[in-house]
Amino acid sequence: MTTTTGQRGEPEASPPAPLISVRDLSVTYDVARTGKRLIAIEGVDLDVHEGEFVTVLGPSGCGKTTFMNVVAGLVKPSTGTVLVDGSPVTGPGPDRAVVFQDYALLPWRTVFDNVKFGLEMQKGLKGEGWRDRVQEAIEMVGLAGFESSYPRELSGGMQQRVGLARAFVAEPRILLMDEPLGAVDALTREVMRDEIDKLIQKTGKTVLFITHSIEEAILLGDRIVVFKSHPGAIKEVIETGLERPRSERSVQHDPRFLELRDHLWEALQGEATAAAVSK
Amino acid sequence: MSTFLASGPNLGRGGVGAWLAGLSPAGKAGVLAVEVVVMLVVWQLVVGVFGWINPVFLPPPTAIWQGFVELVSSGVLWPNLLISLQAWLIGFVVAAVIAIPVGLLMGTSLPVDRVVGPIAWTIYATPSIAYQPLAKAWFGFGIGPVIFLVAISALFPILLNVAAGMRTTNPSIIRAGRVYGASRTQLYRWVYLPSTVPFLFAGLRQAVVLATIGMVVAELSGSAIGMGALIIKSVNTYQTDQAFAAIAIIVAWSVGMAQFVTLVERWVAPWTRKGRR
Repeated sequence: MTTTTGQRGEPEASPPAPLISVRDLSVTYDVARTGKRLIAIEGVDLDVHEGEFVTVLGPSGCGKTTFMNVVAGLVKPSTGTVLVDGSPVTGPGPDRAVVFQDYALLPWRTVFDNVKFGLEMQKGLKGEGWRDRVQEAIEMVGLAGFESSYPRELSGGMQQRVGLARAFVAEPRILLMDEPLGAVDALTREVMRDEIDKLIQKTGKTVLFITHSIEEAILLGDRIVVFKSHPGAIKEVIETGLERPRSERSVQHDPRFLELRDHLWEALQGEATAAAVSK
Repeated sequence: MSTFLASGPNLGRGGVGAWLAGLSPAGKAGVLAVEVVVMLVVWQLVVGVFGWINPVFLPPPTAIWQGFVELVSSGVLWPNLLISLQAWLIGFVVAAVIAIPVGLLMGTSLPVDRVVGPIAWTIYATPSIAYQPLAKAWFGFGIGPVIFLVAISALFPILLNVAAGMRTTNPSIIRAGRVYGASRTQLYRWVYLPSTVPFLFAGLRQAVVLATIGMVVAELSGSAIGMGALIIKSVNTYQTDQAFAAIAIIVAWSVGMAQFVTLVERWVAPWTRKGRR
């Protein structure tokens, strides 16, 4: 599964240990209705290094969300191990924050209080600094002035900005994003994709970004992990090797971008067809 | 009042529907007022002016108003109304005090749900009038059986709604709670309880209506006092105008309390307030 990761320079000393290390990971579910075992993912190996932006691309139902949930500590592996910074994952932790596809905001909390939630549960709100940090996160995602709005008063894109601020305020080392732009409209999606890119480049977070959009996977990722379905497993891992900052306009004539897009399109098309047939 | 006009799926928005949807709150109240006035005028014409129906069976609105004035001026209304409202309020509070914690427990624990659920549904499915003779045997002829019937009518809508609210808490929000480090008790306090609040109020609104039915059923036979007894006495003496006046007061109480519950909900849970539709 290791591919062309070795060309980064830095030959001195041994390479640093990966921040996320996944070995032979499988997740199976018992389906009560049919009495059968469902293999969600099987034999997944992946290393993610500090500061890396890894996009996970695959068709619906390929287990990429299950994979992310295991790293988040929400789903227990059936076999295999997931190490974060050398220690096995036994549950959610303050070193990881998740941005959800359906935003998962608390409807009874205002924007400010939703962002505050990122700090509140694990660390408590002692001292004075937390207000500034919450406000800073809100301003960082461009929601200044909406602090006292309720989520249902906001558009989908703005709700996801709240989700991003909540994740950033927790100051995790790893951001796990589960199709964060899957539910927002096309135009907002492009704008927010570029903003997420800038925020990540600025903060240097390690990111696992789940998506089913080929363009998103190429434009955001340092590496693209392609999943296949039935059972869910890694099909291939590709270095994007495109200069940053990238935008749709700047790369759309780049031969590397076109090559990646064609390659991924073919890979996914085969998967989507296979998925449709097996249903 | 405007909520009555605004509710329901808006399937398409043509003509009158579009006009109604675009009304301001004052406009909606105006539409309702016009509706009520038209209904009263037609009623008055049919019974009072043209005399198509014997007013002993269906008195016209003006006669009902006179009946109301007589009830007030003769001093008959107050003792009956006070005893009814007292029984209603005690019964309702008893129901809420039992139903909310048990409902929360049912929603939290599957074993409790499996044991209590079928019993709760069975009692809820029993028409409250069936308990009426038993209630007299158990609680005598005073306010006791009325409180019992109010409480047992109001209990289950609250209980079952609260339990459903707990169970249907958005799993995605629960995951978010876990990701950001909420412990079990923190999840309960900050995720499950708040998401149950709208269900609690839905249950309370249903309970208001059912409690009123329970109250009248309990008072209709064997009671010497109360609004139900007043209706029976008025009908037995052919004072149907007073009977209708008593019914109107009961309806006003029921609608008023349902509105009150909605007001409390807006205050306690401002996030549930519906936007313009």
